[in-house]
Amino acid sequence: MGYSLKIAIKNLWHDKWINLLSVLTIATGLFILGFIIPLIFNIEKVTKAVPEKFTISIFLKNNITNLELKKLINNIKNRDIIKSIKYISKEKAFEDLKNSLKDSAYILEGIDENPLFPCIKIKLRREGFDKQKVETLIKELINIENIEDVIYGKKLLGTIYDLYKGVRIISGLIILLFCVAVIFVCYSTVKILFYRKKEEIEIYKLLGATKWFIRSPFIFEGSLLGLLGGILASVGVIGIFKFIKGFSDPLIPSLKFIVIPVELFFILPMAGLLLGIIGSTVAIGRIRY
Amino acid sequence: MVMIRFDNVTKIYDNITALRNVSFTIEKGEFVYITGPSGAGKTTLLKLIYLAEKPDNGEISIVNFDYDILKEEKAIPVVRRNIGVIFQDFKLLNNYTVYDNIAIALRIRGFKESEIKESVYEALKLVNLAHKSKSYPSTLSGGEMQRITIARSIVGEPTILLADEPTGNLDADNAAGIMRIFKEIHSKGTTVLFATHNRDLFRNTGMRVLRLDSGNLVSDDKG
Repeated sequence: MGYSLKIAIKNLWHDKWINLLSVLTIATGLFILGFIIPLIFNIEKVTKAVPEKFTISIFLKNNITNLELKKLINNIKNRDIIKSIKYISKEKAFEDLKNSLKDSAYILEGIDENPLFPCIKIKLRREGFDKQKVETLIKELINIENIEDVIYGKKLLGTIYDLYKGVRIISGLIILLFCVAVIFVCYSTVKILFYRKKEEIEIYKLLGATKWFIRSPFIFEGSLLGLLGGILASVGVIGIFKFIKGFSDPLIPSLKFIVIPVELFFILPMAGLLLGIIGSTVAIGRIRY
Repeated sequence: MVMIRFDNVTKIYDNITALRNVSFTIEKGEFVYITGPSGAGKTTLLKLIYLAEKPDNGEISIVNFDYDILKEEKAIPVVRRNIGVIFQDFKLLNNYTVYDNIAIALRIRGFKESEIKESVYEALKLVNLAHKSKSYPSTLSGGEMQRITIARSIVGEPTILLADEPTGNLDADNAAGIMRIFKEIHSKGTTVLFATHNRDLFRNTGMRVLRLDSGNLVSDDKG
């Protein structure tokens, strides 16, 4: 193991300029990944906050009795997705409406009868929240007796989830593309070295070297290329994030909310290491005696 | 104890029969010369022993490995670590020093660096090249390169030593030096197979000689 690592470092040093180019190429790929990962992270953060802001209003029939109301509340409450439930009587609703109109209360002049319906406001849980579950819940609620109508931010929910889904798919594709690119850089660097050392490898085989003995320096070399690229990329990404946050706050206050996942310090080098191992393993292929 | 057994072994390359129904056994500690003109099948016979080739017919067993085990790919490195081979074209690593060229045989076997150092210098002393440990093969003469190859082949203390024309490219003095090294290795109990077309090397030695001609084993007697 120690010897293989020593040989890998020796090989890296021997072709230091070509390998530096490989490391920079890998770092560039991972650097771009380093921006996509926080993007997903931040979008995920925004969408995770949706349930807390999201309210479903259930309008009840005017003639609902107290017993029916109690039964209905119990029926709705027993669902996993529901966090809290709040009943608003039609009188309270009218009062709230008046208060909200303030100076424009004259609009309600001449209305003798309360036109509003009693209502139940529902807040949803953060865990397990998704568009599908909300829509299923709405469908179930509509069919329950004594419910006049159910109103929720259908458009908002749809837009947020479509955006989230779209960004996820596009980001996923970009991540895949750059991962393949990094693998390819490691693959080609190791492949060239492997071809150059073909004669040496043949001698190793004749002397009784195991497949691991032959492979390991190349795998270490690919891993080191990936790891160095990853470290360089993480330093670059964190630096750029810090720069943007530090200088743009007064101009664009919303940047304050951008969160840099500290895991990036770990994720990018590890991703580089893993992609390096994959690239070099594929480059060596099957060793035959 | 039988170290090598060939049982009706045939090897064919592109319709050319390199070895035809060759059978023999070699006991532990024997020194056997394999001789014959160029193209007789000497190198093919050695290649079959260190599993660089597979027989088209017949069976081979080496040390404790019978033919069924030898047919498996995973047996190849294990067998090769039990055999020291001196190649006709040296097969030295040109970008490695003499020391590293010999040490590699032990690194492959998983030895620790401290053990390697001692063994490498011992092997270098045997071939009288301890002073060249830091040199690169390109700076050595043919005879020196051959002696380095010998040092590499014996450093792992193999049970069998195969030599393919080790004196072929050397002058008489160098060849005599190489022969002395072989005798010393053999005296330690190593089984040696020495392929050569040079009859002077085995004449009147009293050693066993396997004579090949056009892939046939034509004689098996004393030199």
